[in-house]
Amino acid sequence: MTVVLDHISKSFGFLTVLHELSLSVQAGEFMVLLGPSGCGKTTALRMIAGLETVTSGRIAIDGRDVTDVAPKNRDIAMVFQSYALYPHMTVAENIAYPLVIRRGARADIDRQVRDVAAQVQLDPYLDRYPRQLSGGQRQRVALARAIIRRPAVFLMDEPLSNLDAKLRGHMRAELKHMQHALGITTIYVTHDQVEAMTLAHRVAVLNKGRPQQIDTPRQIYEDPANLFVAGFIGSPPMNFVDGALADGLFECAAGRLPTVVQSHQAKAVLGIRPEDCRLTAPGEAGSLRATIYSIELIGDHALLTCRIGGQSIAVKVEKDFSREIGAEIGIAAAPERTYLFDAASGQRLR
Amino acid sequence: MSRWRGLFESRRFGELAPIPKFICYALLALWSIIVLFPLYWVLVTSFKEPVDVAYPPKFLPFIDFQPSLHAWHYIFVDLGNDTFRPYANSLIVASVSTLLAVLIGSMAAYALSRIEYKPKLGSIIGFILLLALAIVAVVHWQVDWRLAVIVAVVLFLLLLRAFGRYFRRHLGNGDILFWIISQRILPPVVAAIPIYVMFQKVGLLDTHLALIITYTTVNLPIVVWLMYDFFAAIPRDLEESAQLDGASRYRIFVGIVLPLAKPGLIAASLLVLILAWNEYLLALFLSTAKAQTIPLLVAAQNATRGPQWWYMSVLIIIMIAPVVVLTIILQKYIARGLLLGAVKG
Repeated sequence: MTVVLDHISKSFGFLTVLHELSLSVQAGEFMVLLGPSGCGKTTALRMIAGLETVTSGRIAIDGRDVTDVAPKNRDIAMVFQSYALYPHMTVAENIAYPLVIRRGARADIDRQVRDVAAQVQLDPYLDRYPRQLSGGQRQRVALARAIIRRPAVFLMDEPLSNLDAKLRGHMRAELKHMQHALGITTIYVTHDQVEAMTLAHRVAVLNKGRPQQIDTPRQIYEDPANLFVAGFIGSPPMNFVDGALADGLFECAAGRLPTVVQSHQAKAVLGIRPEDCRLTAPGEAGSLRATIYSIELIGDHALLTCRIGGQSIAVKVEKDFSREIGAEIGIAAAPERTYLFDAASGQRLR
Repeated sequence: MSRWRGLFESRRFGELAPIPKFICYALLALWSIIVLFPLYWVLVTSFKEPVDVAYPPKFLPFIDFQPSLHAWHYIFVDLGNDTFRPYANSLIVASVSTLLAVLIGSMAAYALSRIEYKPKLGSIIGFILLLALAIVAVVHWQVDWRLAVIVAVVLFLLLLRAFGRYFRRHLGNGDILFWIISQRILPPVVAAIPIYVMFQKVGLLDTHLALIITYTTVNLPIVVWLMYDFFAAIPRDLEESAQLDGASRYRIFVGIVLPLAKPGLIAASLLVLILAWNEYLLALFLSTAKAQTIPLLVAAQNATRGPQWWYMSVLIIIMIAPVVVLTIILQKYIARGLLLGAVKG
């Protein structure tokens, strides 16, 4: 089932929270709406669900215009951030609720509830109440309740944000597997870029109500469209150095780096990912002079934080890195691995 | 010296030191006596002969005086129906008005907590003016009240149709809520005579209906007041989820919201029931013989020869018994309902 958003906007009075978002989600695709708090991603999701009205634009599910259709007639299921489990009903009753509302046969409903509960490994908990379950179990109940209707589209609003780190990793894998097995079109909202990168077929990055880039995770990582996307994706985040661009050379107070971008720019920003940085001797041609600020052992590698002028650069180094804090070093990078942005607009220079 | 300090300061945070503890319990004991003694006294007085009620007071049955069942016999056997009818009236009027007040009040509170209302100021003023006009017509020009009401409603609708679009200024939910709650701030005694005149005009004096309507109206604000916070605290997520699953607004209200607001509903119901059960002033105005309620009967024991304490005590006991029993049964809901309005988990 495809979902098409055609220039949808949302305003509350004079405040516009979403500007002209256009998106086309293919059947069976896992689309992630990614962005910081307040970027409009949850508003977009709620508009697709029908819980918010659309100020302008159209929404179509499977070719059918649903912009003015009531939520219950859109054939969608939603998993809320708080799970929205009914506290006064047992797990079985919670899962059965969508079918009970639609007046199914009792025996039929019971069978389907047991099937779905087995799928999410909730069999032993069917008679418990939500307050007797752990966070991960509650989340699975919310999932089961969404699955049981076999909707055309799944909508998920940060379902993993209330879980601890370890459980989150486990549930990510479960979600990915489940979506693949069921093949249901899924639209997923999160502010966590790791979730976006691992789960999505495609990611739509949003900032302040405006779409920044809509592409596969790999493309977004390796070919960011602007400064915001480049700095948002990647952990640790991309390093940025202010300077000027001229004749294929990036120039700043700490040195010069060759780049592949040929345009001229008085104010430019250079971006290098920590794993693409190479350490050289200080003052070497084609490197930036830096001072080591701190060394953190991550486990299989170490993270070096260096200072270039007033800015910090993070570099990934081997785990037995043996230099001292305060030492001078040079940082270089292959020209193809650097990114250049216009300092004023943030747009990528190519 | 530290021994002396130890009596006033406690070692652990949640504990009381010996002397503060003693003072606390002494005050609690004193308060318990103040609250429970009148109940004991009423119970004991109901078994006394008239001569035992006079000064000096006699506290203990079988020791200070010989208990007798004459008052109970009089109330239940001699008076019989004259006791039973007011009791039944109280039961009917209190329970029906409580049911209506809680039903309508909780629906109003739920609507106010979920929907944004924008009543136009022009419409409100127009409505009040037409209502005043109707009342003047009925009182001064002897117009039949049914005709006056119909004409007023029709005029109001026409007015709305003609001038509705010019009314700009509007009020909000907060104003509506305040208006409803402010009804209760008005002491009922202020409205007693107008209410009497109104019911006399429509011929409903001394009926159950008059009392039910009045009690429901007077107690509705309390229900709205209590339930609004409860409904506001229920997360919207639950209702949105049910909405997506296909439940109608009504189904969401009855199947999800009400069960979650149960402590509040029970606390509100009990409060309204007690108010309606004990209500004296409006019942005095609105009923004479057929719809007389128990508080009136109790007060009526104050005969020309002086208060008949023994008969009064029996009536008081049977009057407070149902409420006491109900409160004991619903005790845990009341504590939860009045102390915390939140839904957790």
